[in-house]
Parts: sequence; C-alpha cells; structure tokens
Amino acid sequence: MSSKSNIITFEGHRNFRLRLILSLLSGKSIKIVKIRSDDLNPGLKDYEVSFLRLLESITNGSHIEISYTGTTIIFKPGIIIGGDLTHNCPHSKPIGYFVEFIIMLAPFSKKKFNIIFKGLTNSHDDQDSGIDLVKWGLLPIMEKFGVREISLHILKRGSPPLGGGEVHFQCNSLIQQLLTIHSVDIPKFSIIRGIAYCTRVSPSVVNRMIDTSRKILKSTGCEVNITADVWRGENSGKSPGFGITLIAENKRGWRILCENTGKANELPEELSEGTTYQLLDEITKSGCIGRFQILLCLVYMSIGKEDIGRIIIHKDQVDEKFIYNLRDIKQILGVEAFLKEDEEDNNFIIVNVKGNGFTSISKKVA
Amino acid sequence: MEQSNKPHRSGSTNKTPAKKKLHQNGQNKKAFAVAAPRKLEKMARRSHDVNERKLHVPMVDRTPDDDPPPVIVAIVGPPGTGKTTLIKSLIRRLTKTTLQDINGPITVVSGKRRRLTFIEVGNDLNSMIDIAKIADLVLLLIDGNYGLEMETMEFLNIAQHHGMPRVLGVATHLDLFKSQSTLRLSKKRLKHRFWTEVYQGAKLFYLSGVINGRYPDREILNLCRFISVMKFRPLKWRNEHPYLLADRITDLTHPMTIQENPKCDRKIAIYGYLHGTPLNYENQMVHICGAGDYQVANVEKLPDPCPTPYFEQKLEEIEREKIKQQIENGEKPARTTTRRRKRLEDKQKIIYAPMSDVGGVLVDKDAVYIDTGNNFNKDNENKGEGEQLVVDLQDVSKTIKERFEEGPGLQLFSNSNALNEVDEDEEAELDLLSDEETIVDTGRTLLRKAKVYGKSISEDDEFDKELSDNEEEEDIDEFEHGKVEVDFGNQYSDKELDYVEDSALSSDDEENGYYNTAQKLKGSIRRNWDINKLLYLPNIEPEDVLKRWRGEEDEEKEENIEDDEEDFFKKKEIKQVDQDDSIKPSFPSLEVLKERFEEESNSDEEYENGYKILKNRLLTAPKLNEVDTEKQEDEGNEDEELYGDFEDLENEDQEEKEENQEQEDNQDDFADFDKEENDEGESDNEPEDNSDLSIEEQRKLNAAKKAKLKMQFEEEEDREFGVEDPEGDTEAETWYEFQKNKMAKQLEINKQQYDQMTPEQRMKVEGYKAGSYVKITFINLPCEFINNFNPKFPLVLGGLLSTELRFGVMNARIRRHRWHKKILKTQDPLILSLGWRRFQTLPIYTTSDSRTRNRMLKYTPEHAYCFASFYGPLVAPNTTFVGFNIIDNKSTTGAFRVSATGIIEDINSSVEIVKKLKLVGYPYKIFRNTAFIKDMFSNALEVAKFEGAQIRTVSGIRGEIKRALSKPDGYYRATFEDKILMSDIIFLKTWYPVKVKKFYNPVTSLLLNDHNEWQGMRLTGKIRADEQIETPMNNDSSYKKIERPERRFNPLKVPRSIKADLPYKSQISEMKPQKKKTYMAKRAVVLGGEEKKKRDLIQKLQTISKEKEQKRKSKKDEKFKERLKKIAKVEELRKEKEKERKKEYFQKEGKKRSINFEGSSKRQKT
Repeated sequence: MSSKSNIITFEGHRNFRLRLILSLLSGKSIKIVKIRSDDLNPGLKDYEVSFLRLLESITNGSHIEISYTGTTIIFKPGIIIGGDLTHNCPHSKPIGYFVEFIIMLAPFSKKKFNIIFKGLTNSHDDQDSGIDLVKWGLLPIMEKFGVREISLHILKRGSPPLGGGEVHFQCNSLIQQLLTIHSVDIPKFSIIRGIAYCTRVSPSVVNRMIDTSRKILKSTGCEVNITADVWRGENSGKSPGFGITLIAENKRGWRILCENTGKANELPEELSEGTTYQLLDEITKSGCIGRFQILLCLVYMSIGKEDIGRIIIHKDQVDEKFIYNLRDIKQILGVEAFLKEDEEDNNFIIVNVKGNGFTSISKKVA
Repeated sequence: MEQSNKPHRSGSTNKTPAKKKLHQNGQNKKAFAVAAPRKLEKMARRSHDVNERKLHVPMVDRTPDDDPPPVIVAIVGPPGTGKTTLIKSLIRRLTKTTLQDINGPITVVSGKRRRLTFIEVGNDLNSMIDIAKIADLVLLLIDGNYGLEMETMEFLNIAQHHGMPRVLGVATHLDLFKSQSTLRLSKKRLKHRFWTEVYQGAKLFYLSGVINGRYPDREILNLCRFISVMKFRPLKWRNEHPYLLADRITDLTHPMTIQENPKCDRKIAIYGYLHGTPLNYENQMVHICGAGDYQVANVEKLPDPCPTPYFEQKLEEIEREKIKQQIENGEKPARTTTRRRKRLEDKQKIIYAPMSDVGGVLVDKDAVYIDTGNNFNKDNENKGEGEQLVVDLQDVSKTIKERFEEGPGLQLFSNSNALNEVDEDEEAELDLLSDEETIVDTGRTLLRKAKVYGKSISEDDEFDKELSDNEEEEDIDEFEHGKVEVDFGNQYSDKELDYVEDSALSSDDEENGYYNTAQKLKGSIRRNWDINKLLYLPNIEPEDVLKRWRGEEDEEKEENIEDDEEDFFKKKEIKQVDQDDSIKPSFPSLEVLKERFEEESNSDEEYENGYKILKNRLLTAPKLNEVDTEKQEDEGNEDEELYGDFEDLENEDQEEKEENQEQEDNQDDFADFDKEENDEGESDNEPEDNSDLSIEEQRKLNAAKKAKLKMQFEEEEDREFGVEDPEGDTEAETWYEFQKNKMAKQLEINKQQYDQMTPEQRMKVEGYKAGSYVKITFINLPCEFINNFNPKFPLVLGGLLSTELRFGVMNARIRRHRWHKKILKTQDPLILSLGWRRFQTLPIYTTSDSRTRNRMLKYTPEHAYCFASFYGPLVAPNTTFVGFNIIDNKSTTGAFRVSATGIIEDINSSVEIVKKLKLVGYPYKIFRNTAFIKDMFSNALEVAKFEGAQIRTVSGIRGEIKRALSKPDGYYRATFEDKILMSDIIFLKTWYPVKVKKFYNPVTSLLLNDHNEWQGMRLTGKIRADEQIETPMNNDSSYKKIERPERRFNPLKVPRSIKADLPYKSQISEMKPQKKKTYMAKRAVVLGGEEKKKRDLIQKLQTISKEKEQKRKSKKDEKFKERLKKIAKVEELRKEKEKERKKEYFQKEGKKRSINFEGSSKRQKT
C-alpha cells in the first residue's frame, strides 16, 4: 500500500552507512545493489552486517532483506526507538565506524540513546575514525545544531588487533528540530589541543609523541596543549598500542582535527610527526570544519528547518566524497546544496543548504 | 455677536507660570496621589492581562510577504442561508462583474497587495472537512431566524481541530423579523451564542434583505473592508505543508488512448495558487483530498492570471531598470512600458474563475460555452457584432463532411478547429504568452516552441534565462581569458536550441543537454564551470566534476607545480581503488606535507602555498607583533618553558640548529606579519588610511561592511537575547521579542541568499514558493476522477512530507464528542480526518492501567478521554483530528455527526495492547497444599507456557502452576498456600494481546459519481440491522439471577464403636442428656383473680379508645373529600377560561403565520 515501488536504488557499497542513515531519517525505503559484486569476496562485509544489526536493534519495524549472495539489500526503515543496549563490534572495524553515523540518529529517537559499544577504539586502518575523532570532532558539531547533553565516554581503550575496548554513548536530549547554523567567516584557530594515548606500552611513548608534535607546532606560535592519556590494567584492552589525536580549536568552538594510530614497527615520533603535519595541512585546507565533519554538517543542515543555513568550507574540501555525499543526500532527502564563492577570499566557498523541514516524529508528546 | 477668544500669550515674556509656583514647595502631592488605588490596580492588572493574551508562541510565517497567495475565503452555511447571494454580492462589489453561476473558487484582486479566493462550501461533510483545512477566513452564514444549525456546529468543530481559521459570522434573513424589538433581541441572543462557539467578541455581521439579488451595498462594503484589513496568524499544519486549492483542471490524456480504453489512467493537469511552504522541485508526493496520494509528475509555474497591482508595479520597475541599462549600453530599448498606476483601477480589478461563467464564458472540462443571453433568438436584429458571429457559428446548414465535399470555402474553416479543451489551453497559453512578453526579456524561440509543443512558456523561459546566463558567463570568460572563440556563444546556444527541440519530443531531462553540450565542449574549449550546475548531474562522475570545475586552475598551474598535480593524481588513484565508505579524510604522504610546511626547504612557492596560509589561519599570540630581538628572546624563553620538563640531550645540538633556522624563518615570518598587520591596520584605520578615497567610495565601503555585518549570524549559544549581535538587530528586551527578531533575520537571510541564485537554481533549492500560480500534472489519476469531476466540490491538494507516506500505528488521545449520541465501540470503523487525509480505520480504545499496560476498552468512556490506537499513514505527534461514523448524506440523520475528537500522541510500528483473560479450572485431587487441576488447558504445551504462573481460588487462596501431568493432557499440578477444597474454582488471570488491525480505507469521495455518498465499511451494528442478523449472545455472558441455596452441613456423627476406640486426645466431648426435670418445667403458671380483673379492664378501655379513634378518622376523610371536590370545581373553571383565551390567541396568531409563510416561500422562489 505504502511502498508503491518508490524504493530508491543505489549501486555499490559507497556511502553504505550514510544511505542507511538517511533512509531512516527520511523514512524512505532504499535498495542497494551490486555490493562488491565484482570482488573476490562479494557481498556485505561482517562489519556492514553488524551495522545493519545495530540499526535493527535501535529501530522498531525496520525491515532488512539481504540477498543470498549478500550483494543486494533492501532496507525499509522503521521508527527510531533507541534505548539501552550493548553492541559488540567486529574486530574488522573500530567502534568509530559505528558511532560516527549512529550519533546522527540519536537526537531523533523515541527513547534516549544509551549504548555500550565493545570492540576496538581505534584502528590503524587510515580509513576508519577512532573514537577520539568522533568525541572531539563530531559531538561539538552536534552541539552547534542544538543537540546538547550528548556524550561519549571511553570506559576501556582497546587497541587493534584484539580490542577489548568499551565506549559508552549517551544522548539525553531528544529534540524536535535542529537549529539552523550560520558560520560564514573564516575562523582563526587559536589553540591546538591533543590527546596522546597508549595502552599496554611504556608511558614514555606518550611523552615522545607529545614532544615531537610540540616541536613542530612551536613555529606556529599557537598555544599547544596535548594531554597524555596512559591506560593501564584492565581498562587498557587486550593489545598494546598507541595513537595521537590533534585538535585545532577556535574561540567559537569550531574544531579541525586529525588522528593516527601507531602501526607495527612505527616509531611514536614518526606517528606524531605525520599527524602534526596532517593537521597543519588540514588547517590550511579547511573552512570552519575539517573534512571529517563536513558530512555531519551537510546531513544536519539538510534536515534542518526550512531556512537557509550557511557554512564556510575551503575549496579543497570539495572533493569526490563531498560530491558523492551531496548526491546521496539529494537522492534521498531531495535537498540540494548551493555553493557560493566567498566574497573575501576566493579560496573559500559558502555552502548554502535549505533544510527540508524535518521534524522528529518518534518523540512522544506529553 | 462677537466671539471672545482667549488673548494670545507670548511664551517669551512671562516664563514663570502658575505651575512653577505650585511646585515651589516640592511637588503638589495631591496631583500625584492615587485617587482610587483599587481601581488603578485592577486596571493595571487588566492591561497586563490583555497584553499577555496577545502573545503567542512565536512561529515563522513562511508565506512570502512580497507576493502572498490569495487569501482563501470560504463561505459556509446550511443550504438556503444565502451563500451564493453573498458571493455574488462580494464579487460584484470587488470587481463589478455579475456572476450567473458559481462553480469552484473565484479569485479576485481586492487591494493593492491582496487577492481573495472565494469558495462556496456545500452542505457536504467532505467538502466542509477539506475546506476547514485550507481556509484562511470563513464567512459563516447563519440564518437569523433559526440561529446556529447542526451543519454550522459541525463545521465549527471540524475547523477547530484543524487549526481554527479566522471566522466571521454573517447573519442573514434578518428582514423577516417584523418587530424591531424581537430583531434586536434575537440579534443579541445570536451574538452571544456565536461568541460561546467561536470566542468572546467574535465579529458577527448582520445582513438584512436582498435587493436585486444582492445584499445591500452598504453592508457588503463594510464586510469587504473588514476582510481587506484582516490579518492572519500562521497555523502549524499549513506552515509545514504546501497546499493548493485547484481552480482549474484539464485532462491531458491523449484522446486516442481514451478512445482505446475509456477506463485508462488519465494525465491530468491541476491549476491553482500554491499556499503554505514551497512545493518541492521534484518528486513531491501530494494527497488529493478525496482521491488519494499521487506523485506529482511535473510542475510548471505559470504567469499569474490574477496579479496584484503591487506585483505588476514591481515587474514594471524591473523592466524599466532593464531598459535603462540597455540604453546605457547603447542599445535600443525593446519596448516602452505602460505607466505606473497609483490607484486600484477598474482595469486592475481582475477576476479569475475558470470554472464559473466569468464574462459569459464557461470553461467546462471538455468545452467552452459562451453565454449569449437568456432570451436566445436568432432573429434578434439588434445584436452586437461578436454576438452575431457566435450565433452565426451555430447556424450551420451542412456538416463538415458535406462542406468538405463541396471543396472551396472549407479552407477557411479548417484553420479554425472546433472549440475543444486542448485548443482552449493553447489559446490561454498564447494569452499568457503575450502577458509574459511584457514581463521578461524573450527571444523568438518562445513563440515557436509554444506553438509546436504546447509547452508552457515559463519553463522555456527559464531555459532561456539559463541560456542567457551561460552566454553571459561566456562573455565574462572571453573578457578574462581571451581564449574563447568569438562565435562560441552563438554556436552554443544554437546547439542548445537544437537539443531542446529534439528532446522536447522525447521528453528528456534538461540535464542531458548539459551533458551533451559539455561533451561537445570538452575537447575544444575550457570553460569555467559553475560547480552548482555540475554537482547534481548524474551523468558526470564526481572526478569529472572536480576536473571541470578546477579546469582553469590546472591550466594555470600546470607549468610550475608538477608536484601538486602528482599529488592530485595520487589521491585519485587511491579513491578509485577503494570505493570506500569512510568519512575520514585521506592525506598526502608525509614527504609532501613536510615539504610544504618544513621551514628549511621553504622556497617562496612552498611558503606561499603552505606556510603562509597556515599563518593566516592561526590566531597567534600578540608577541609576534613586537620587534625582532624581543621576539627572539621570547621565543627562547618560550622554548625553555615548553621544553622545561623534558630534556632531550641527544637533540640539543639539533635544537640549537633549529632555533637558528627558526630565527631565519621568523624573519620571513615577520615580513609577513608586518604585512598582515598593515592589512589589519588598514582595515582598522580605514577612515584615516582611505583619506585619498573620495567620500562616496568610503561610504560605499562602509555600506558594504555594514551589510556584511548585518548578515552575519553569530552562533546560537553565544547570544543571550542578542547581546553580541553586531547590529543590534536581534537585540530585544524580552525573550518573545528576541525570538521574533531572530526569525525575521533568518527570513531576511533566506531572501538574500535566494536572490543571489539564478532563477532555476533558486527553484531547485527553494522549490515553488507560495503565491505562484502553478500547473501540476499527474500522470496516473483514475478516470473516475475526471469523469465524475464536479466543480461544486472543492479540490484540495496537500503536499506530504516523507514521514507522512509511511504507515504505522498511531496512538492518540481521543474523546467521544459530547454531542454525539452514542459511545464508540472498539474495532468499529471510524472515519478520521487526520492531516490532509480522510480515511476509515479500526481504532482500538485503550486505557492505561497505572502506566503498566494498555488495557483494551470495549467502548469509549462516556465523557473522559481515553487512548486509541489505529493503523494509518503517520503524521507528526501533536496533530489533532476529528472522527466521524458516517459522512454520506444518505444515512445522515439529524444527529450531530462529529463523533470523536483527539490528538496524536505517539507513533510507532507496533503497539502493545492487552485485554483481560481469565482461565478457569477445577481441582480433581487435593493433597495437603498440592492439588491437581483439570480443564484449564487443553494440552501439556500450554501448561508448559504457564509454568510458574500465579493462580488463585475463588476464596482467595493463592497458588502457582507447577508442572503438567503426563497422563490426562492439559492437567497439571499446582501448589497453594493452604489446602483448597474440591468445590473451589481455580482462576488464572492473564493478559491477552490485541493486535491493531491494518485497515486503512481512504475516503475516495471525489471518485464517486455522487460525491457526497461515500460510505465505506459499515459499523457492526449497521450490518446486523441491515442483514437482520441477531446479535450473537454467549449464553454464559448473559446475566442470570444468582441462586445461592443455603448450604446445610450435617452434624458430625461418630459411630459409637469408633468413638470408643478413639484416643483420649481425640475424644469428642459431649454432655450427657439431662435426666431430672428443671425447676421451671416442673411448674405451670395460672392467672389469679385480682390480676385477671385488671387485665380485663385494660382491654375494655383499649377497645373503646380504638373505636373513638376510628370514628374521628372517618369524619376527617369525609371532610377532605369535600374539599377535593371544591378544588376540582375551581380548576375546571380555570381551564375553561384558559381554553377560551387560547382560542382567541390562536385565531389571531394563525393569521399572522400564514402571511409569514407566504413571504418565506416567495423568497425561496427568487
């Protein structure tokens, strides 16, 4: 009755999670075909299935159909329920893989989100975000959109490959509509913070990372403040590991950040140096948000009130991912962004997005 | 007589007035004392109350204020109250045209910036519901003789639950009152009744008689004025949805397909003004009230058929600007514009009512009728030329075929096709086109296309604009780079046009066009592509998009930065490999980065690209602005500070080196900083620095700065009532004002941003905004929709949000309407009007058992709210709805039809509702605390499910189900807290889940032949009555008289033999039977002499007194009877008198009535 073949079809596993999340937010059914159909290992990966399971458990009435080969799925979204649950993440992806998209749903659920994720807190695969990246990068952005009382606690750190980490995600504010944000001036970053952590290795590793990065950042003349975060005993998971997250912050609370996790045979100095330069690179090529945060911003601007929200980004941030994301958003939410060159500096672009007037319908009144 | 004026006192001479003298010893206390403190306090409180009542929750008004859609004025009332007359009078007043027949909405221009759409609402519940959802203003007609009628009440109740529109009461038929006093009295009574229904002080108009088929001009004028100044508050539902009241409808299906299959799905265009929020650019789902949900196939914005003078004026201004520019550019102006008008002239009083007979032309769905007057007479000699022509048209002696055979002369007719709907369409479009010409700059292409493809102009026009934009861009390119071939622009546009012609037939996307042209262009010319156009073209891969967008840059940079390009390619390679799902960005390799930011290898180039930008992006400490030496020292100190904690002995040398390098670098930096500082200084001390600039330039600069500041929005958190707002625009004293300012500012930003976009981009981002006249095409409407179309019924299109397309269970708070006669039964079909939709569903009424469970109720409570769960299309919580049991006119009795009202509280995919279930069993074997129970379950599996469940006997002994017995299936063992009896009955109290039935039956009244006879599923009771089925009656459920025979317990008898054997402890203690007679038993009592006499005497006395009493009583009764007779006599007399009086009265009154009746019947005839 309701689904008269108005299923939106996608191809490939690109933006897999984004598409599912958008589908849940918009209530439109989607179908993804040709998932790694040319691959030697065709079909969904274990972490993708795990993500689907997680979606199923936080919603009511969702309907997932996975084809026999796993190369096609049909997802009919239900209503976001939330609630208390524990999710065991597979070791092929860190917790960040799940959290970074689940947080988008959190403020629009019926009950408060209270999820404990178990697994890796970081991974040395450069593709996946560690938990610090989510905590310091995405949550502040959510606050800009009016989602307060959202928190991510690292109960246990779990480095790859064995993990054993635990992260507690909580969202206490259920809101009806997001705020419209306007950030059109190019911010200057005043302070560089950071967290260098290690599990099951000598604490000196942390200091070595901090030293290296301070040395490089000294020439910038910025205030540098890197915290040493050493985990011992039970809470440090099952494997040794270390990593660093650097965050450039401005006075308005916009942040640009980047992180890396130590790989095998990698010196802490190397890691720290690389990360620091990456941060510098990211700063030069960013507006008020880093590339990591753009997607969240775009999604939240698209489901905002029916007003135009604006955010400034750097021209270099308009990359393929950006375009793919925009196209997916358009296809599901029907919202188009409008890019306009900044009048002052033509290296920057102001993204204008008119929200589609989304309101959270799950929330119960009275 | 001479006037005595006060002599003039000049102010300058005597400056010490009496007042000053008064205040010499302080202020005059009397003057400032409060005379009546109580009253003052009351007044203050009242004024506060009044002010407070004015406040509403601030809500953004999404209707554009520059060209708002027409105000929908619905005329509602029971039949015969004068709705049509009122519309006619209003139309006459506003446009000076007289309408014969009123069909569908009528739009008229009522003021400089206001249009009104009048629509008459028939006496049909469906129409009333639809109109209640969209009307901005309701003119509620009330017959002054009868007061508020049932329909009126129903409408008010419906309207109230769909966001009450403004209501103006209009009392009619007041001329039927003979005496002024009764008129006054009934007016007053009516007013107060109306006030209780709407709100205290609601405006009620009184219209007296009808003159010339219209209400008196004076009264209508007043009403018009009232309407024209009325303000409307945004209503929540309408502020979140686009909607449209259709004023025209055409069937665009190819006649051949209809001929082949008359029942085929139709392609239908619906026209009307958009209201509410903007309609999506594409893929909008729309609910056609009374027909169902359909996807919009195509939307076209058409020129406004009924533009406001204000809008026209604005267009003219734009036109003038254009011409001015043309003149400046040395071109000839295309055409001269008409003069601007200052007053609403007769010419501007436009009326647009395609369904009605405006100007004697009636547009039906398949024909256009021209009215030639009532007394049709061919031989009428004095006719106008046009009329004559029309009449001549009808005067055809031969058929077309005959004429065709005749040969010559048919040529003349072959051009003029029969007047059919398609033709009309074209005509209209041509008309529109000519309108359009005055509006926008057009080329020759327009006409041609309009003729050939029958496409509307606006779309084409857009296309042209786009074209011209492109051309403009090209021009700019030319100017800038000088690389582009000169004739490119023409070539491009030609190509584009070719494409248009081709694709219009194949109905391709315009996007294809871009792609084609893009491909054509690809090799030859590099263009600076607009990213916004590229972004959403599905044919172009993102890599290509980026390449095209950055095309220019690459070329420029090509020679000098090979590294960068390499870098670029590298990135791409990575991306091609993993079609990844991560949002974490990837970075170039460390070496590349190092090179960019490393101080030592910093060539100028690198510096410019890496380090300098970085410096720009960082807010550094102020020490950097000091002189070199200090700076170095500082740096040194800082180093110490920084590295104080850790000593890196190994690297000390290196560090020193580094420091040196840094110093060098810093020198570089300083240059930079100095420059930067200068820059900043410039911006700071602009007035001084820019002294060489002319004042105007400075002003311009300042203005630009200010404008920028104004548009800047600080983040939400930072602002407490706009304290940090640069302009102080949003600054306000109260929260309320602050919110309002914020909304206003946001709207301003929206407007500004939209204005910066090109029209088609704007359309894509914003959608079709309210106030635009659009043609919405649907391709798959059922044929019944058009076949049974009746313009008397409003056709409402409501836009649906994505959540509203989903189905699920809604939990609502519901209450039976107190005027509805019956309570509602669970699972009985109920027709709900929820959101845009009207549908029938099966609600389950529930109550919450102290929030532990939702228990099903068989019936709604009499007067209280209960909960209802039902299946249907979801709407956002907090939406109110109205329920009906019947909506068809046939089964309507005189009773109030609104049966329930409620509000959606929560939506979900499923809901847990339970009803009570008591299972009963009987013990068949009892041990001490254990018993075997039978007859409760039918098999062991069921028992297994209830293991451990609490059970109870009637007498209240609690127990637990233990385990199923193997042998008799369904029997089980249970334990109790005490020994039970064989006569006990065992209960198991459980809850049985009730499922909400997935029944959703949309009210498709518009698809029926008779729009007001939609019936849907019947109520259970109705079916039983119709089919004459008896209500099933469970024998156990009937209440019988409870018979409880007295239980008799036989005394315990222990046989003697057993008794003897009993041990002492268990001996039954019995008393031996008494052998001796008692004292009393031994003696009999006999009455003695004296005693006997006394008793005898007393008896006699009593007898006498009784006798006396009886006599007295009978006497009294007699007297009373006589009195009754007397009273009856008097009564009879009175009655007779009364009868006489009545007779006299009715003799008089009856005559009056007959006169009255005649009068009213006369009125009806007219």
